[in-house]
Amino acid sequence: MTATPCIIGAAALPVGRYQKPRDADLQTLERELLAGVVIDAVADAGVDKSQIDAMVFGLEKSYARQAYFATFMANYLRLPTTAALSEVTGNGMTGGLAFDQAANEIALGRAQVALALGVNLETAVPADEHLDITIRHTGDVDFHTPFGLTPISWYAMDAMRYMHDTGATRAEIASVAVKSRAFATDNPLAQYRDPLTLDEVLAQRMIVEPLGLFEVPGRADGAVCIVLASEDVARGLNASYLRLRGRGFFHEGAHQINEVPNDMTAYVAADAAGKAAYDDAGIEPTNLDFAEIYAPCTITEVLASEAFGLVPRGRGAAAAAAGETGPGGRIPINSSGGCLSRGHPPWVTGLYSYVEAAEQLRGRAGARQINDAALGMIVAELGNYNAALVHIFEAVR
Amino acid sequence: MTLATIRRAGPRPYPPRVSAFTDRFWRALADGRLLTTRGKASGRLTFPPKPFCPFTWEREVEWTELSGRGTLYSHTIVHAAPKAFAQLAPYRVCIVDLTEGLRAAGALICENDPRIDAEVEAAVLLHDDGPLLGFVQ
Repeated sequence: MTATPCIIGAAALPVGRYQKPRDADLQTLERELLAGVVIDAVADAGVDKSQIDAMVFGLEKSYARQAYFATFMANYLRLPTTAALSEVTGNGMTGGLAFDQAANEIALGRAQVALALGVNLETAVPADEHLDITIRHTGDVDFHTPFGLTPISWYAMDAMRYMHDTGATRAEIASVAVKSRAFATDNPLAQYRDPLTLDEVLAQRMIVEPLGLFEVPGRADGAVCIVLASEDVARGLNASYLRLRGRGFFHEGAHQINEVPNDMTAYVAADAAGKAAYDDAGIEPTNLDFAEIYAPCTITEVLASEAFGLVPRGRGAAAAAAGETGPGGRIPINSSGGCLSRGHPPWVTGLYSYVEAAEQLRGRAGARQINDAALGMIVAELGNYNAALVHIFEAVR
Repeated sequence: MTLATIRRAGPRPYPPRVSAFTDRFWRALADGRLLTTRGKASGRLTFPPKPFCPFTWEREVEWTELSGRGTLYSHTIVHAAPKAFAQLAPYRVCIVDLTEGLRAAGALICENDPRIDAEVEAAVLLHDDGPLLGFVQ
C-alpha cells in the first residue's frame, strides 16, 4: 500500500548573498536562516508542528561550521521525528533527492507530514578557491581534474559540439539567458531581476567558451523548506495543493563522459528519466503546462528541453530564441528565472524548483503566473546530465 | 607508437594520484606510450585503466597499448580557472574519441581554431614532477 505524496506548503529566502567572510564580526548562521524558512513553510501549509514526522535535509556545503546539521536542527527546532531524519547528497541533484526521500516517507505511510529542506551558503568563499573544491565533484580526480576541467567546462563542451552538429548559433543559445531574466523580473525570490538584452549577454567576458558571464550561474546562497503530506492530510486543509503524479530516475553509469563514445548532447539520462516519469504519470510531454529544469548554463536548458521532448531535437536553441519556452510561450521553461536569474545556490537549487511549482500550481505566481497551470514537471540533475530525477505534479484546487 | 613529448615547466597544477596498479600507466606515459587495460575474457577495452573489466566485472585484465590517434569530439577554453590553475589560464581542454573506440578527456594543444571531428594525436605533457595526457591538433 502506498500513499500519494502531495506538496502543501513551501517557503524560501530570496536567492542572494548571505554568507559573511570568516573574519567578519557578525556572521550569518545557517540555523537562523533555515529556521525562519521552516516556520514560514509550515504556516503556509496550515499544519501544526506536531504533525511533522520526517525531515530530509540536503547536505550542507563543506564551508558550514555546524556538522551533523540535521540532528542539530532537530534540536534547534525542538522537533522529534518518528519516521526519518537524514541528510542526503547528490551534487546538483541534492535538493531533488531531499524531496524524493521525503516523498518516500509519505508514500510508505511512515510519515503523514514531512519536510524537505536545506540551506546552501558559499558566496563569501572566493570563486577560484570554490572551484578548487568543485573540480573534484565533476570529474575523475586522477584522469580529468588534472587538466583543470571545471564543472561548467563540460556544459561548454556540450555547447561546442551542439553548435557543430546543429548549426545553432551562440546567440540562439544565449537567448535562454534573456528569457530567463524576463521571467525573473516578476519573481520576488530571484537574485537578478533587472531587464537584460541579448546584446548585453553577448557582450560579457568569456567564462568558458562559448559561455560568457551571463550564460553561467552567478554565485548564490539560499534556504528552502517544502512541506509534503499524504493526500488524506492535504484534502483536510481546504486549500489547493500539488499531487505527485509521476516520477522517473536514470543514471547512465557514466561520470561526465562515457568511455564508450556516444552522443553527449543527447542527455540520455534526461531522455530515460523523462520517459519513465511520463509513463508513470500517464501523460505526454505535450500535456505539461510548464517545466522547471535544473540547468546551470544556457546550453544545459537547451539540451534538456530537447531530451525531455519539450522541443524537437536540434531545435532547442532556436525554440528559446523564438520565445517558445519564455513568458507566454508554448511551453514555459524555468518560469522562476532558473539558475541564471532566479539564482543557483547549488545544493538547494533543486528545492527552489518545487517552490516554483507550488506557486504556479496553486495560482500564486503573480505576474509570471502561467494561465491555467495544471500539470508541471520538476527536474534535478548531476554531472553533465549523467543522471536526472523527474517529478510530475498536478494541481488540486 | 611513441607519442610526442612536450616539455612543460614547473610541476603539474593538480597531480594525479598513482596506485600500485596505475603506476604502469603513468610510467608508460612518461616514456611516450599510452596504455590501458582490457578484460581477458571480454576483450573489451576500458579507459582509464582499471584492475577489472567494468563491463563484465571479471578481474583478469591485460595491458594493451593504444595508438594515441583519434578525433576531436569537443573542446573549450577555460577562462575562469580554479586557484590551482590560475597560472595556466586561459587554457584549452578537450574530449577525444580514440580510434580504438574509447572516449577520453585531456589538455588540448592547438595553435589555430580547433576543428571538431578532425584528427588529433595524443602527446605527453612532461612537467617537472611527471606526465599528463594531452592531445595535439
